[in-house]
Formats: sequence, C-alpha cells, structure tokens
Amino acid sequence: MKPAPILSSAFLEPSGQSLPAPLLALRQQRGKALADMPLPTRKTENWKYSSRYLKLTDELAAGLPADGQTGPALAVDGYHVVFRNGIMVPEASDYPDTDGISIERFADLDDDAATQLAERLDNTLDSNGVQLARLNAARFEDGLYIRLRPGAVLDQPLFVISETDASVSGSAYPRIYVDAGANSQITLVEEFITTGAEPAMVNAVTEFALAEGANVTNVRLSLDGDNVQHVGATGARLQGHARFDSHTVGFGGPLRRHDLQVRLEASGAECRLNGVVVTQHKQHYDNHTTIEHIAPHCNSEETYRNIAADESHAIFNGRIHIHQDAQKSNANMSNKNLLLSTGAEIDTKPELEIYADDVKCAHGATVGQLNEESVFYLISRGIGRQEARTLLSMAFINELIEQIPVPAVRGTVQLRLNRFFEQTVVEA
Amino acid sequence: MLSIKNLHASVEGKEILKGINLEIKAGEVHAIMGPNGSGKSTLSQVLAGNEAFEVTEGEVLMDNRNLLELATEERAREGIFLAFQYPVEIPGVSNMQFLRTAVNALRTHRGEEEMNAAEFMKLARETSRQVDLDPGFLKRGVNEGFSGGEKKRNEIMQALLLQPRLAILDETDSGLDIDALKVVADGVNALKSRDRAVLMVTHYQRLLNHIVPDFVHVLANGQIIKSGGRELALELEERGYGWLGVKDEVATS
Repeated sequence: MKPAPILSSAFLEPSGQSLPAPLLALRQQRGKALADMPLPTRKTENWKYSSRYLKLTDELAAGLPADGQTGPALAVDGYHVVFRNGIMVPEASDYPDTDGISIERFADLDDDAATQLAERLDNTLDSNGVQLARLNAARFEDGLYIRLRPGAVLDQPLFVISETDASVSGSAYPRIYVDAGANSQITLVEEFITTGAEPAMVNAVTEFALAEGANVTNVRLSLDGDNVQHVGATGARLQGHARFDSHTVGFGGPLRRHDLQVRLEASGAECRLNGVVVTQHKQHYDNHTTIEHIAPHCNSEETYRNIAADESHAIFNGRIHIHQDAQKSNANMSNKNLLLSTGAEIDTKPELEIYADDVKCAHGATVGQLNEESVFYLISRGIGRQEARTLLSMAFINELIEQIPVPAVRGTVQLRLNRFFEQTVVEA
Repeated sequence: MLSIKNLHASVEGKEILKGINLEIKAGEVHAIMGPNGSGKSTLSQVLAGNEAFEVTEGEVLMDNRNLLELATEERAREGIFLAFQYPVEIPGVSNMQFLRTAVNALRTHRGEEEMNAAEFMKLARETSRQVDLDPGFLKRGVNEGFSGGEKKRNEIMQALLLQPRLAILDETDSGLDIDALKVVADGVNALKSRDRAVLMVTHYQRLLNHIVPDFVHVLANGQIIKSGGRELALELEERGYGWLGVKDEVATS
C-alpha cells in the first residue's frame, strides 16, 4: 500500500525572525515535532469528507509577505486590530489601552509575557484532533495576546480583521490567544477577508482560556475568497461558572475546515455554540466541533445549520464527550441542513460518547429540502419563485443570525447572504 | 370575468374534478357547497395553480385569458387570491416581510412603485385592525403559533391588502366561533365591489348568513349538479344533500 504523503518540510520553515526568543524557540520545537506528520487522507476518519479538497502545493509552502502597508480602508467602528497575512498592521488598528486589559502583538511582548504565552499556546486544543491547525504553532509570524485581569470588562466588541493579501501565492498563520481572568468579559469578533487573487492558504488558530466566572463571546466570520483554502481551529477551556458563546458564520470556498473544541473543566461552566454555513457552486465547508464535559454540572447548547446549493458540499461533525465524573451534565446539540439542489451534498455526524450515568443529552440532525407547501403559499400571493425560495432559505437560518450580539456583523452577514442567494438558483 | 369550461383535474392519477362548468361575472358572489370529498378544495387549488393537481381537460378563462397557462405567481398578479383552508406556518419569515414582499410584487407587476417599509407598516397596521388582529402579529413568523381563527383573519387581511379581482375563500368559516366569523365576514363584505368577484367554498351555510351570495352551486362527485340563488343554501341546510341523490360522506370515507 502506498504510504500517506508526508507534509513537505517547506511547510515547517518559518520565515520572519521578529518574535521574542521564547516564541521562536517554541516554533522551532513544534516544527521538529511535526516533521513526520502525515497529511490527512480519505482514511483519516475526521478528514474523510474533506481530504479531497485539500491541495497543499509547493507554492503554498511560502509564507505570505506582509510589508506593513495599509490595505483597503476597513469600515469598522469601534475597537479593531488589523492583521495582514498574520502580521499586525498597527497603523490600521485602533484599540484601547485600558487598565486591566492588555492587547499586545506577539512581536511586542517582553520576555516574561512571551514565556508565559509560549507555555500556553495550543493548550486548549486536542493536538490529535486538529491535525493541520498544529502547523500554525510552527509557522506563526505574529499574533495577538489578549490578557484580561480579574473583573476587567472590555466595553465594546473588539474586531480582529485578518486580511489575506494574496497578490502572490503562499500561506498565512494568524494567531490569537485570550487569557480571560476571573469574572472578566470580552466580545471578540474575527473576520477573515481576502484581497488578491492568487492561490493562498490561511491557517488560523484562536484560543481562549476562561478563568472562573469569565464571560467570552466569540464571533467568527469567514469571508475568505474563492482562491483561499482555510484551515484552522478555535479552542476554549472553561473554569467554574465561566461562559463561552460562539457564533460561527461561514461562506464556502475551495477548502474550509474549522475545528472548534470546548473543554468544560469545572462545575457550572457553560457554552453555547451557534453555526451557520452556506455553500454554493462547487464550494466546500467542514465544521468539526467537540465539547468535552469534564466536570459535573456543566451545560452545553449547540445549534448548527448548513445550506448547500448547486454542487457544493457541507459537513458538520459534532462530538460531545461526557467524562465519567461529569454527572448532571446537560448537553443539547441540533444540526439541521437544507439542500437547495439535487447536486449538493451534506454530511452530518453527531458523535456522542457518554461515560457518566446521570446526564441529560439530546441531539438531532436532519437533512431536508424546502417545503413545497410553503413555496406554494408564498407564490400564490404573487411572490416570485426565486424570491419565495430565498425567503424560506433565509428563514432556516434567521434565528441564528439574529442571535449574533454584534449589529455590525449581522449587517455584513445579511449583505453577503443576499449576494449568495442572488447567485443561487434554488431548485424546487 | 372567470369562465370555467368542462374542467377535469386529477391528483396522483385519481380524477377529482369531472367536468366543472361555471361562469362568474365581476361584482358577483358565488358559493360552492357540497359534501366532504366532492372536490371543492381541489377546485380552489386548481384555480390558484397548485402544481400538485394536474388539469387533464377543459379550460379556465380569466378576462378571456387562458388562466391554466399562467404560473401560480402570475395568476396572483393577475388578481387571483386563494384564502387557504389550512394556511401554512412559516417560522423565520415575519408576517410583515411576507406581506410587504407580496404587495410589492403585485405593485411592480402593475408598473407601480414599491411601497417603502414605513408606508407599508402604516397600511398593514390599519388593515390588521380591520380584521381585529393585534398589529403585534405582523412581527411574528407567518401564521406561526396563530390560532385557527387568527390564521383565517390573517388570510382575509392578505386579501384586503392585495385587492384581488377574484377572491376564492376555501372553507374560511371552518373552525371559527361566531365572533370571529363576523369579523371574517365583515372583511369579505369590505372586499365586495363592482369589479371584483368572490367565490366561497363551504360545507355549511352559516357563513352565507353573513356574506350573502348571488348564486349557490352544489358540487358533488366532481361536478356541479345544481345551481340556484341563496335560497338553495337554506334548503340544503334544512334537507341536507340526500334529496339531491348525494350521500353526505364523512371526511374519513
């Protein structure tokens, strides 16, 4: 049998050297550790639907350059940090210097902070589960380290705009680590956008460590271009009574793979994970989520909706793992899917592993098409067929869009969805 | 206005309408009565353009245009309106958004400017009061969680907003208490005009106490077997359908 292809060593070569020594050391160590990492293939269980979309060509092995120039003006009101090709652009950023909240790029960290961060990077993620996202720790060139002291509250959402400037081919490795002290609060909005049309890859990793009672909301909006493959991961670990809210909105592309891993590590921790994905043409999107119920009395709520049009392919894999000690866990997972054409494909896979005996755990997954009675009702009022089907498709995801707590994001999403449906012929 | 000639229609290969003939002129109110399973609802659905039904023979002319050649949405734009017996619940689409989209689709078809949100809101609120629906319903999903009576009033509200040329009411009286029945009847009476026709499909004649028909037709086994004035409805109430040689089958048969 032919051996699985090994990742080209070029993918493990970082370029920039502007990082503090502890982070450079970490990067080097991770690069060595990954030298033998095989690429995921069809036989890799958690990549079986997606490996065929992954195209790791030699030209993608180069790091994308970031010369610090300011790209197109971004209309963001409020706090924002702009990264281009994984490197911060300070002159395009505007964020507070508040007592109790430190927002720093990796390149600016002093040795103590860099040492602290090096010890933490990847500590929210299950390294066996995320595969390609592990590359990030060997290749990042910069990043954002956010620390909230106990009780600190960021009074507005912080937008982190990750722009991939693909005027040449290559890869970018954006990275964020958020240390949220006890009872602190932050809303972090991540937007991934693309300029330039050459083939590129984004490998983005964002992590959150929530101390007792911390409250973190993370909105992740994937608007990468059709020339961009995006792999990445988000990890969160929660101490007692911490709360993590995640809202993922994704538009398909040649490859979209995101792993979201949440660990409920002490009593009273809770998370809500919402996700909306729409795909069209021959696009792909694969969301893998894992919720680890490690301690007793934790709650998780998860709702994901996929809409696949044309010949596109959407995947949802939701794992809930309730450990033996996690008595009185409460876990709900729902994944509903809408196929807008007979050529589209949706794969949904709930995975429940339960080792505690006193838990409430519910899950449901459906794949369906638009209800023809509803279509008839709308068109019998004079509404055009295409518009009727768009209204009904939007109805399928509206509830989740409305729950996004940042109005500016809802507006952006609505505009993108309008464009999506203008380009999509919805079959009966 | 509407001329139905020898209309035959089937669903899943089973013939339900077996040669319907009916002439409706502008300004008239017609009632079609008949036992369950006689084809009343099928006739409504076929006129509105439900593609689940196949027309196998005959023609339907609306103002001398072949209605059967028009798609469902085109019929609506030409002025056909069906008040559904069982209005569909559509969570996630607000009633307001639905109504405004429909009204603007018709306005665009007539070459008129679309109504903006504020103008439409004002109109919709007034109309909702006319059918005794709290304007709060406009914000809810289409028919979502509405009671049976609320759904029927929402149908009449749509008719009032869309101002059709032919309003077809399919069992609009079923499931209504007497107060709701009056509200619905008032709404329908407000629709009546010289250049609009109303076709009521009903099992019972009680609605006809409130909306007085010019003509009453008895539909049985897919054909109109008797036509008359409103006194025919009273006679049916008194004597049932048996004297016409028709068994009043129950819905389960």
